[in-house]
Amino acid sequence: MSLVTKLCGEYPVNFIKVDISNDPNYVFENDPNYSIKQLFDSEGNKVFVNSFTECEHYVSGGWGFSPDINNEIFFQDVLFYIVILLLFISFFKNKLKFFVKIWN
Amino acid sequence: MELKTITKVFLIVLLLVAPWFNSHLDNNVPAAKVSQEDVTFYEINPCKASLFDFLKANSESIYQDHFYFRFDNKSSIKCFGRVTGVTVLEKSLETAFYISLGTNSFINLLFQGFIWIILFSFIPKNKNPDDKRIERRFHNLTLILVSYLFTFSIYSESRFYEKNFYLFDFDYLDSYIPIFFSFLLLLKILVETFMERSDVIINYIPYLYLVSALFSGFNLNFLSMLLVYFGFQSLVSKEDNSVFNKTFNKVFLALSTWWIFNSTGSYSFNLGKFRGFSSSIYEFNANLFWIIYFFLLLKGIQFIYINLKEKFNLDSFTQNLSITSSALLITSYIGANFPIINFFNYYFLGLQRLGIDIQNPFSIDEYSLKIAWRGISPSAETIGEFYGICLIFLLFNIVKTQKLNFFRIVGIFSSALGLYFSDNRTVIVLVFSIIIIYLFLLNNKFQTKKNFIGYILISLVVIAMLLLVVGSNNFTLSYQFLSESLIDKANASQFDSIYSSYLTLLNKNFENSTMYSYFFSFFSTIAYFLNRSEIWGVFFSRYNPTFMEFLFGSGPLNFGQLYGEVVINKTEFCILTTKFICTESFLLPHSSFLSYLLFFGVLPLVLLVLTLLLFLYKNRKNYEFVLITTYIFINTFKNDSLNYFVPFCFYAFIILILNSRFRLRKI
Repeated sequence: MSLVTKLCGEYPVNFIKVDISNDPNYVFENDPNYSIKQLFDSEGNKVFVNSFTECEHYVSGGWGFSPDINNEIFFQDVLFYIVILLLFISFFKNKLKFFVKIWN
Repeated sequence: MELKTITKVFLIVLLLVAPWFNSHLDNNVPAAKVSQEDVTFYEINPCKASLFDFLKANSESIYQDHFYFRFDNKSSIKCFGRVTGVTVLEKSLETAFYISLGTNSFINLLFQGFIWIILFSFIPKNKNPDDKRIERRFHNLTLILVSYLFTFSIYSESRFYEKNFYLFDFDYLDSYIPIFFSFLLLLKILVETFMERSDVIINYIPYLYLVSALFSGFNLNFLSMLLVYFGFQSLVSKEDNSVFNKTFNKVFLALSTWWIFNSTGSYSFNLGKFRGFSSSIYEFNANLFWIIYFFLLLKGIQFIYINLKEKFNLDSFTQNLSITSSALLITSYIGANFPIINFFNYYFLGLQRLGIDIQNPFSIDEYSLKIAWRGISPSAETIGEFYGICLIFLLFNIVKTQKLNFFRIVGIFSSALGLYFSDNRTVIVLVFSIIIIYLFLLNNKFQTKKNFIGYILISLVVIAMLLLVVGSNNFTLSYQFLSESLIDKANASQFDSIYSSYLTLLNKNFENSTMYSYFFSFFSTIAYFLNRSEIWGVFFSRYNPTFMEFLFGSGPLNFGQLYGEVVINKTEFCILTTKFICTESFLLPHSSFLSYLLFFGVLPLVLLVLTLLLFLYKNRKNYEFVLITTYIFINTFKNDSLNYFVPFCFYAFIILILNSRFRLRKI
């Protein structure tokens, strides 16, 4: 699942990405059917987005989860990699012993 | 002590202590003392103070009974071991402080799993590691299948897990990947640890009562992974080709097909103390998981028994029973008197629910009645049954060896004390009766006509004890009153014009005085004598099977349909203890037979009972088997024991061990 889908929800049907960077006067239109989302940048600044287009634009530009949630995702990832490493060791420990012997 | 053992002890102490020092307070700011008027520090600073910080500032919380430490499985990883909040409540005219501690479910899975594996590794290794005890096939594939099955359980009960996991969205596959690999890692290490200790493991089964190994925030038991793994192994092994096994597999497959196709609707169930061995929801996927799980669990128990039965040693088994009963008493007593130890018991021993907080196990209520004291066990009756079994096995062992060593004396003392604390009078009577009958049987008193007096004496003693349990006053009541007590209670629990199908059937039968009503009247009388009229009455007012469900059940370990289908009267059932505890219309069946009637239906249940009776008759000269099986049979009839993972496995193993193929007195 992409970060945009995680933060903004599923892509609307017939969604067309607008190239906003070429239009400095572009104003995002509110979508009354879209529930407001809060996004954060790396320095902890907040922004509220009112439509999928706006949300997608901000997320593509590097905005994302709150620092606390980012922290949690980081810890979850670290734990996951530790689990994978331990699994690798447990499955290949006999072969690893062989390499250690050769090394010595 | 060996260096390896010292390292393990050090590692386990480190694991037990280290997480609770996880503080995020500034160096100059100590944690605040809580008071009835002020807990603002913990409101302003959630997830900052570690448990150690809190205990340092509130040292009285270690021993005062108005502090309650509670787990918060939905906290973040960062919050693990920290105080996530403090609440002040009025409890029985006393101020109570509820301290919520961060215990993230994903961390719990790995952390608790590794602690239990280290504990498991204290069991002595096989003397000859090259001997192949259990032949395994497709090992890695089985590991993957079991891990997949357990991950599937999270998917099938995602409504339960969403309440227990922080930032895991179970609508997306991503969330299942770390859980799958964690299960795989734990299972692989667990199986290897088990295989290295398979020579003696069967004698260490009693420790299950001490370490239940249930993950906090999960509806899964850690040790069941091992049994399910061997369940898979049994399916691919050559030993599964016997006629009995083939027939059993076919019958179970046929029943499973019915249960799965019948799984329509969605009814959730508040697991409570059945966590780990019951489904939290009655739905297609959940039913599918619990059917496969239950089948593989049975196959796993049978597979381990077949492969390791020769390793059973009565001396070692009884010694472990004695140690477990003493350890249970000690941990329970300390836990009841120290709130923080109560929390640690729950977390590190993997209990279904927090231990009891009644400090004095000798307590009596205002009517001078003994209060049942369950200690760390989920139910006082279940732990009473365990102490009873300890006493019976000690008797078998003492008779066999004619010796009374230190462990046996400690075992007798602690089991007798534990049994008294649990206040399970049925077990007390059964243990006394079994001791008397067993001693008479061993002396062959029944075989000579001269000892006819002995025969009468036993009967008198057993009758006197029955009177003690039932109460002599109850025998003066009329049969009509007794026979209608159950249906009266069932009708009293019925709500408005909503009748369950079974209650409608009962009422019709009683109106027309059919054969079935005479049978049910007898059942009602027994229920009254066992003080089960009200509870079983509530069960029948809920029990709403279709004709096919009545015959074949609705699937193993699933109460969702029973508690969700029929609305009943919001009556209050109150238990008399030091405080008057009322449970609003949410009563568990209090009979494994009624639970299994719901799960498997009347036909398989009758078949099971008949097989058991036939088995008892065939093995009537195997006194130990007959006595223990009867003991278990009576207890499960009036208690929910078989709805808990530990007693279920324990009873299955001891019945198998004591059966005719393995006579105790020939060991």
